[in-house]
Amino acid sequence: MSQEMEFKNIVAQYSKVAPEEMTNEMRFREDLGFSSLDFMSFLGELEDTFDIELEENEVMKIVTLGEALQLLENLQ
Amino acid sequence: MLVRNILEESVQKFGEVKAVKWLKKKEISERSYYEIMENAASVRKGLLAEGFEGKHIALIGTSSVEWIESYLGIITGCTTAVPLDAALPCEDLVDLINRSDCAALFLSPKHRPYLEVFLANCPGLQKVWMLQEEVEDVPEKVYSINELRNIGNNASKDAACPDAEDIATIIFTSGTTGKSKGVMLTQKNLASNVEAVKISAEPGTVMLSVLPIHHAFCLVMDWLKGFSQGATLCINDSLLHMVRNMSIFKPDIMLMVPMMIETIYKRLAASDPAIPKQILAEKVFGGKLHTIFTGGAHLDPYYIEYFAQYGIQILEGYGMSECSPVISNNTPENNKPGSIGKPLENVEVRFENGEILVRGTSVMKGYYQMPKETQETLTDGWLHTGDKGYMDEDGYLFINGRVKNLIILSNGENVSPEEIENKLALNPLVGEVIVTGEKNGLTARIYPEQAVVEAKALDAEAVKGLLQAFLDKYNQNQPTYRQITGLIVRKNPFIRSTTKKIKRQDALIDEPLA
Repeated sequence: MSQEMEFKNIVAQYSKVAPEEMTNEMRFREDLGFSSLDFMSFLGELEDTFDIELEENEVMKIVTLGEALQLLENLQ
Repeated sequence: MLVRNILEESVQKFGEVKAVKWLKKKEISERSYYEIMENAASVRKGLLAEGFEGKHIALIGTSSVEWIESYLGIITGCTTAVPLDAALPCEDLVDLINRSDCAALFLSPKHRPYLEVFLANCPGLQKVWMLQEEVEDVPEKVYSINELRNIGNNASKDAACPDAEDIATIIFTSGTTGKSKGVMLTQKNLASNVEAVKISAEPGTVMLSVLPIHHAFCLVMDWLKGFSQGATLCINDSLLHMVRNMSIFKPDIMLMVPMMIETIYKRLAASDPAIPKQILAEKVFGGKLHTIFTGGAHLDPYYIEYFAQYGIQILEGYGMSECSPVISNNTPENNKPGSIGKPLENVEVRFENGEILVRGTSVMKGYYQMPKETQETLTDGWLHTGDKGYMDEDGYLFINGRVKNLIILSNGENVSPEEIENKLALNPLVGEVIVTGEKNGLTARIYPEQAVVEAKALDAEAVKGLLQAFLDKYNQNQPTYRQITGLIVRKNPFIRSTTKKIKRQDALIDEPLA
C-alpha cells in the first residue's frame, strides 16, 4: 500500500468520507468532520504508524489534508 | 475535614505508594505520596516565608508534577490558587491575572515567551516561579521552583491550616455575557465534594489524567479524589499520545469528557472486525481499564452500551465549576444509563420552571468581584444551574435542555457565543454575526457588511474566501474549543425582535432573497 493510501485509511477512521473521495484541499474539521480531539488522536496515530515525531505547536496549524500529507513527506 | 487534612491522612496511609507517574524523555518517572506532599509543604512554607499569606497565586501550564505540587502547596496554606487555561492567548491570560488580583505566578517553561508580557502588563505580580528546577537568563522577580522550595525547606514556620470558609481556589468559567467569571470555591466546598462522591478504589489503582488540569473536574476528581484514595495518578503528556499512554501506564480508571469517548469509539468501530474484542481492548485501552467516569457534556447512551462490549463501564455524572464540581453521578451500585445519576448526599435539588437548582456544601461562595452575576446565579444559597431537567421516580436526575445562552461542547468546554461574536465583529466585512454550536465545534453565521461588499465590488465567492481567511487567522490564536470550524455566509440580515435585538433562536433561518 502506498504511503498516501495508508495515510488516507487512517483519516477514514475518523471521517465519513471514503479514502478514494478525499482531496488535498479538504479541511479536517469542516469537510472531514473531525473533532479537535479526533485530530489530535489522528496525529498520534501518524507518529506511531510512520515512526515520526510531531511538534504539537506546529501541527495544530494544519488545516487541510494536503498540508498534513506534505508535512509527513517532509519528515521522512 | 479540609483538603489539607485529607492529604495528610493519605500520606499517613499511603506514604510509600506511588502518587504520580509521568514521562520524561520517554522514560517513566515517579514520586511517592510522601515525596509529593513534602514538595507541596516546601511550596506552602516558601510562600509564607516570602510574604504571600492571604494572596492569590496564578498557575499557568499543562499537567505536570511541579504544577500539581505547587497547586497543593497553595491550597493547603493560607493562599488562593488561580489555575488558568494554558491554551488561552497571552492577552487573555494578562486580563485574568489582573482581574483575579494575583500577586504571584507559577509558569510552565513552555510559556516562557509570555513572561516579559506578563511582567510588563500585570502590575500586581511580585514574583514568578518557573515550573522547572533551574532557570537561566531570566528577568528580575523570576525564579525557579527549586529556589522557592529551598526557602520553604529552610523556613522554621509552616502556614496555619486555613479556615473552612477561606477561598481555596478561583476557577474561571465562561460567562453568558461574554466575560469569564472567577468561581470562588472554599476549602469546605472542595473537601466536601471529594468526600461526597462515593467511589472507592484500592491504593495503587492506576488513573491516567487526560483532562485539562485547570478544570474543576480534573483538579477535584482526578487529583484530589484520586489522592484521597491512594491512587497512582499518571500524567498524559499530550492529547496526541492519549492512546499510546494508555498502553504505557495501563490505567484501571479514567475520567473523560464525551468527546474523548467519541474519538476512541471511532477507532474501535473502524478496526478490523476479525480482531477479537479482548485483543483490541488491550491495544486501545492498555488492557486494564474497567471504568470511565464522564461528565462536562451530554453523552449518548449508545456509547455506554458499545464500550460495555469491551469490558468497560462508563459512568456518567453531572456538575459545574460552581459546584466544585460534581452535583450527581452514577456509581457501579446505582447506575441508570442515560441519566446523570443520583444527587450527592451533600446536595439538595429542586426545580424552578424546569431549571435545576442546587444547594449544599459544595456550592461556590460566588463569582470573584462580580456581585451582580453572583446575585443572579445564587438565591438564598440555591444555585441556578442553567440546565433544565427532571428527576425520575427512582431519584435519578436527567437533563433535557438549557436556560442560559452558553454552548456546551462535547469536550465539556462552555463557550459564550457573545464573547466570540464580539471579536469577529471587529472585522469590517462582518456586518452581523451569530455563533452557534454544533456537537463538535462552532459555526459562525455571518451577514456581510453590504457597504464593504459594494465598495470593493466583491462577488459571493470572494466574500466567502475573505471571511474564511479571516477565520483561519482568528483560529490560529485560539484554544481549539474557541475555534470556528464552520462558516455560513447569510443572504439576509438576521431576524430581529421588536427591540431590534437579533433573535438568536431564529439564527438558522435565512429567508431566500426576494
